[in-house]
Amino acid sequence: MALTTAPGPTRRRTGSVPTPAGRRGVGRARHGDGLAGYVFLSPWLLGLLAVTAIPMLLSLYLSFTNYDILTPLPEVEWVGFANYERMFTADPSYWHSVRVTLTFALVAVPLKLAAALGVALLLNRAWRGVGLFRGLFYLPSLLGGSVALAIVWVNMFNREGAFNSLLAFFGIEGKPWVNDPDWALETLMVLAIWQFGAPMVIFLAGLKQVPTELYEAASVDGAGRWRQFVAVTLPMLSPVIFFNLVLETINGFQGFTAAFVLSNGTGGPVDSTLMYTLNLYITGFTDLEMGYASAMAWVFLIAIAIITAIFFSTGRFWVHYSDGEDR
Amino acid sequence: MHPATPPTTGTQAVPVHRTPVRRRRLIRGLLAAVVALPLVLGAAGCGDDEQASTDPNAPVKLSIFWWGGEARAKLTEEALALYTKKHPNVTFEKTWQANQGYFDKLATLTAGGNPPDIFQIDDNYLAEYAARSTTLDLTSYKDDGDLDVSKFPESLWQYGVVDGKLAGVAAGENTQGLVYNKTLLTKNGLPEPTTGMTWEEHIAWAEQVAKRTKVPGTQDPSADYKAFWVWLRQQGKDLYKGKELGFTAEDVTRWFDLWKGARDRGATPTPDVIHEGNATDITKQLVVTGKAGTSWVWVNQMPELKKNTKDELGVIAYPGDPSGQWARASMYWSVFKGSRHKDVAVDVINFLANDTEAVKILGTDRGLPSNLDLRRVVSDDVTDPAMKQSIQVESDLAQKFGEAPQVPLKGHSKIRAELTKAAENAQYGRVTSAEAAEQFLTACKSAIA
Repeated sequence: MALTTAPGPTRRRTGSVPTPAGRRGVGRARHGDGLAGYVFLSPWLLGLLAVTAIPMLLSLYLSFTNYDILTPLPEVEWVGFANYERMFTADPSYWHSVRVTLTFALVAVPLKLAAALGVALLLNRAWRGVGLFRGLFYLPSLLGGSVALAIVWVNMFNREGAFNSLLAFFGIEGKPWVNDPDWALETLMVLAIWQFGAPMVIFLAGLKQVPTELYEAASVDGAGRWRQFVAVTLPMLSPVIFFNLVLETINGFQGFTAAFVLSNGTGGPVDSTLMYTLNLYITGFTDLEMGYASAMAWVFLIAIAIITAIFFSTGRFWVHYSDGEDR
Repeated sequence: MHPATPPTTGTQAVPVHRTPVRRRRLIRGLLAAVVALPLVLGAAGCGDDEQASTDPNAPVKLSIFWWGGEARAKLTEEALALYTKKHPNVTFEKTWQANQGYFDKLATLTAGGNPPDIFQIDDNYLAEYAARSTTLDLTSYKDDGDLDVSKFPESLWQYGVVDGKLAGVAAGENTQGLVYNKTLLTKNGLPEPTTGMTWEEHIAWAEQVAKRTKVPGTQDPSADYKAFWVWLRQQGKDLYKGKELGFTAEDVTRWFDLWKGARDRGATPTPDVIHEGNATDITKQLVVTGKAGTSWVWVNQMPELKKNTKDELGVIAYPGDPSGQWARASMYWSVFKGSRHKDVAVDVINFLANDTEAVKILGTDRGLPSNLDLRRVVSDDVTDPAMKQSIQVESDLAQKFGEAPQVPLKGHSKIRAELTKAAENAQYGRVTSAEAAEQFLTACKSAIA
């Protein structure tokens, strides 16, 4: 960041030099500064090109070919839109994975955000030990998409797992949650929701920024707690909610690790955990249909972009920036 | 550059004129470095890119990649060390890992243009790699005698031929094996199953076991391609015929119905446990975790199973006529077509298959030794009781084996996954056997298309 803005002040400063000689100097300096900027950026730029931009463009190209990983790149065949056609018209397991992913995101994301907000509200008070609880609730998020966590999850929720022992204690007969096609995805959702720590911390930071005068004014006007929450907290928090919503939705769509570990990389039982990204991985690396997998990846990218765009376009109806309303 | 620096006109003009020169030099230097870097790296990559020299004593470094456990790694490394001892100019860059993820890695290495010179592969992927000419055609080496398969059973080395090319050399021989928990049976006074029982008899036996011991008598193998395959062969069908499937939807329905009957009679575990057995690796098969009386495996996996249970295990052929089984190349060694040291790589494979000492070191870890003379030598030496059992069973079956089928088609791994999906769908009772069969057949056709 600091590097990219560096040439700015110079330009403005040198721009104020009035003499013609100075102006010529400015031109050259501007040119040189730009180049220098790029040079200093070059480690990052090279990384961007080599690790992101070129592979992305390559995958765009590959999505129009029958690339199968083993065939050398120069020998791949151009197949036009065949991969895209197959995806939309002739691949039931593709649409199945779309359904699984949508179900997952539609359930897990709102619940995760609700849990994060609820706990953030509870922890946004000054009582003893609150720091400890903030830490504890954040802990699962630190473990993130870790494989170890998913393995623990599988062992907690299989037939002999800790969760069923707990249920048995209350006299309820459990299920083989992770090995039951009707419950495996739900188990993954619970795992995702449980990791609400990251959005919670962001909510907490947002809550701290709500001016107390607003609450005071509201209570003077006779607003109860619920009314205060609806009329003050939620609108003031809406930018943070928006941020978390966009981020978590994208995260939710990209869920991979837990599904991969839970199903041994198959998306089973009976494709119940065949998330989009997992299907993509299997198509590319197990079935060796990398061209088709690339097409799937591009459709995925576009779909996420559209969903994000929808969020942004609806945002102006419900997201309130406290400094923006006066403008 | 700090914004807080007070801008004074006097000091300003000078640097503006002067810096470009210095900066340009700097930029030129940096650009040169940036441009040169890939060249340097590329050159480094090309450094040892000369054609394999004709000097037989020139140093050669071969990369070799296999999957397996620690025991296999130890044996393989020992055998390779022996090769280096005999040919001091040849050294190895050894990489190994668990089976899960192995083929992802191998594919990625191949895509990166950097596959290992020698790699282990099995019949699930041999056709995929051979069809894309990733594997070196070993036919000429075989004809020249540089690769000696004369002591191999004929059908065993032919099981490495894909589209007329010898794509891999059998690193060992195995066949399907039904492993059962002996301790469980003797404790409950139950008879041991025997080779040659029909499928119906097997299921009736399993039902009896389940009733007496409360342990489901047999794992339901309806999702297991190798059991399905044996069963098909016993019906005069096959998994593949030429470039087509060798079976119909009716065959699949009958197969699924056979096991639906077994589940209804309580001979098998519940669907979630069956799924657990299908999804897990060899170390957690139901026969060793005590969740079923049998597991459907390859006979050379006996020692690995035995390591994971205190119970005594027995192994026999799959039910039905044992001629449905065949001497299968448990896995192959293949050479990368683009290897810079093809001849040496082939020599190493030949050594691993035919050198007495090397074969003795490797034992039966990858299956029975392919070389029949050495198989006898190794069998006499073996002390591990589980290994002995598997050798015994396979030797007994040797006279009864049917002809080897063709190497599975490209798309085989997809077909295996689809069979599991369809069979499990039927097991959970979400579809009928006929619907599952239909679903499987549709998926198969698009997989091999």
